[in-house]
Amino acid sequence: MSTLKSVDHMDTPVRELSFAQAIQEALAIALERDERVFLMGEDIGVYGGAFQVTGDLVQRFGEDRVMDTPISELGGAGVAVGAALTGMRPVFEFQFSDFCSLAMEQIVNQAAKLRYMLGGAVSVPLVFRMPTGSGTGAAAQHSQSLEAWFAHVPGLKVVEPSTPQDAKGLLLAAIADPDPILFFEHKLLYKTKGPVPEGYYTIPLDKAEVRRPGQHVTIAASSIMTHRALDASDKLASEGIEAEVLDLRSLRPLDMEAIKTSVKKTTRLLCVYEGVKTLGIGAEVSAAVAESEAFDFLDAPILRLGGAETPIPYSPGLEKAAVPQVDDVVDAVRKLIRGAV
Amino acid sequence: MATEVILPRVDMDMEVGKIGKWFFEEGARVEQGQPLFEIETSKAAMEIESPATGLLRLVAKTGDELPVGSVVGWIYASDEAFQASATATAEKPAQKPAESVQQPPSQVPAPPEVVENKAEMPGPGSRATPLARRLARERGVDLKTLSGSGPKGRIQAKDVLTVETESSSFAGETSLHRLWLSRGKDAPPIVFLHGFGADLNAWRGLAGALSRTRPILALDLPGHGRSPLNGRADLEEIADAVEATLVEEGLLSFHLVGHSLGGGIAATIAQRPSITVRSLTLISPAGLGPDINDAFFAGFLRARSEESLRPWMRLLVHDESALGPALVKTTLRQRKELPILSSQETLTAALFPDGTQSFSIRRLIKDIRIPTKVIFGLDDRIIPARHAFGLPGFVGLHLFSQVGHMPHFEVRNEIAHLIEEAAAAGDQSPARGHQ
Repeated sequence: MSTLKSVDHMDTPVRELSFAQAIQEALAIALERDERVFLMGEDIGVYGGAFQVTGDLVQRFGEDRVMDTPISELGGAGVAVGAALTGMRPVFEFQFSDFCSLAMEQIVNQAAKLRYMLGGAVSVPLVFRMPTGSGTGAAAQHSQSLEAWFAHVPGLKVVEPSTPQDAKGLLLAAIADPDPILFFEHKLLYKTKGPVPEGYYTIPLDKAEVRRPGQHVTIAASSIMTHRALDASDKLASEGIEAEVLDLRSLRPLDMEAIKTSVKKTTRLLCVYEGVKTLGIGAEVSAAVAESEAFDFLDAPILRLGGAETPIPYSPGLEKAAVPQVDDVVDAVRKLIRGAV
Repeated sequence: MATEVILPRVDMDMEVGKIGKWFFEEGARVEQGQPLFEIETSKAAMEIESPATGLLRLVAKTGDELPVGSVVGWIYASDEAFQASATATAEKPAQKPAESVQQPPSQVPAPPEVVENKAEMPGPGSRATPLARRLARERGVDLKTLSGSGPKGRIQAKDVLTVETESSSFAGETSLHRLWLSRGKDAPPIVFLHGFGADLNAWRGLAGALSRTRPILALDLPGHGRSPLNGRADLEEIADAVEATLVEEGLLSFHLVGHSLGGGIAATIAQRPSITVRSLTLISPAGLGPDINDAFFAGFLRARSEESLRPWMRLLVHDESALGPALVKTTLRQRKELPILSSQETLTAALFPDGTQSFSIRRLIKDIRIPTKVIFGLDDRIIPARHAFGLPGFVGLHLFSQVGHMPHFEVRNEIAHLIEEAAAAGDQSPARGHQ
């Protein structure tokens, strides 16, 4: 996997942390800075979380602030929404993002709507942490990428970091935000490492980031697909194709300015995402570009590379085949550049 | 050898048929049985399959109405046959390619024309990308006059841009003469631009010293070798022609090497947005200082015999043996065979008037952020080596003693080594950033 080295404009010291460590550090800083912040979730206390993200936070901050919840996603999410309404800043972890379907009422009908329903008199400052994605052999009910569901709902924000540095800065920004946020953490990224500044910092929740400049094609991706796009770009560079990799970071709101700027420069667009291709994030990005002034800069059809139209299979070979891999990205870009579409 | 493509009778009482559209562009490889073109009759439209496998040459254009039985195209069985005639044309720059390349045994299609200042909305039948449509709209190019290089003949931006070049400065000539000196693979190519008075053959010796794994392309600059000076004798315009040629050749990303005047042009195109130059090596480049050896130009251009030319060409090098036995002879012979001398006089007057270099590349080099080397011989008697001083610190400066204006002749292996060093660095470094 490629290492992403973000340009660091902060003066604080930088260490190498894993993606999971960076999230834990963000949670610890938020707990220290703001007594309204507390964590909820199944097995996040003594056990340290299904993916060991919360780790020893219960020892450091106590059971009042790192709360194990019963196996009831709907109940837990309901408590979190209620606490947020009273002015607390809960961070609720779904053990697997797939289980959010049990709590859809609280996320979509309550958290996303209450500010609007009550005429702005309240807000719901709540972060749902969503371990997501395939690649762990956990089969169809534990491997989905459901970001697009929530990106469809006004009142929610959807964030999907790709690097440890972004994970920390975006999570701290999400916790400070007055509205409900779905924070998607790809399970395969937890152990990846990268530079992370010490201390408190935030990254805007509406800004994409160019990870690799290039001028022949834009690859719009997020989360783990950013890394696959970068690995693909290295291969493509040896063929003389310079891909620009745009890490979307936030899926709602989408940074359309960054997308359009890049497309105007490169004249070609490939959207890569792990969620099912049909009606996925790439569909929205494609359509928004086609509707915009960037349309007149396109020198090839827009391509989407998304997950296969299937539940994620348990068989490791099929699981891999069901989501875009590095070679799939390489092939799709070749098609775009060589005019095969 | 070649198979005729006939306009067939697809209807009992059909006398004439109209070509609705071609599914392939000129030169495309088609398979027997693939849909080749569409006929529109008074009653219906029908797809006609290719009668053979091979390379397609178009005779009739989309929209042509022809009697049943007419030859509308040819399928060439082998690559050789098709390329043989294409190459023959390329070797005759005086001829207009539209007339000879597209000339099959029977009918002659009209050459593409540019409709000036009259942008027509493309009909629903023309396939073109949004960018190609916008460029055509802005530049007043009629898309119907273009054949697309994209899939199924889709018109892409480069098809419109190529016409633009033809219509402005290189009318009748699509691009500059160029030659692949090496067909290596698996690495970005190196592109070579020769100096004043030379041609692409000047790079053959150096190309032999370079690793064979890289593709190597050399160009004849306008007014040199087999590239006529069709545009103005203007550095920007020459640079435009070089850029258009490289884009047409499909080169998106490459290493660039230029000698003398070619160095000035290389620096000029290095940061153009349509291409990615990964590294830049400038050998005795023009454009770094004010003065240049006026007497050399006068003598070089005036000389008509070996005896009068040799002393001037000696000025190019520190040690005369570096020129080799044949260079003076070939220079003279080329002047007899090709109409380049008056072009070169025009270029000298415009680019180097009164012994002065009329253009500067210092500003361009100042902004450049790709691996860049400047190479000079300390005994350069055409452009003094001191011109290379005062460049930004990250530009590598390589000075060779007892070397004149032709380091790529005089210290060939060393120059090959430096070019490969720059190319290796350019391969590694990320693409030119815009942040």
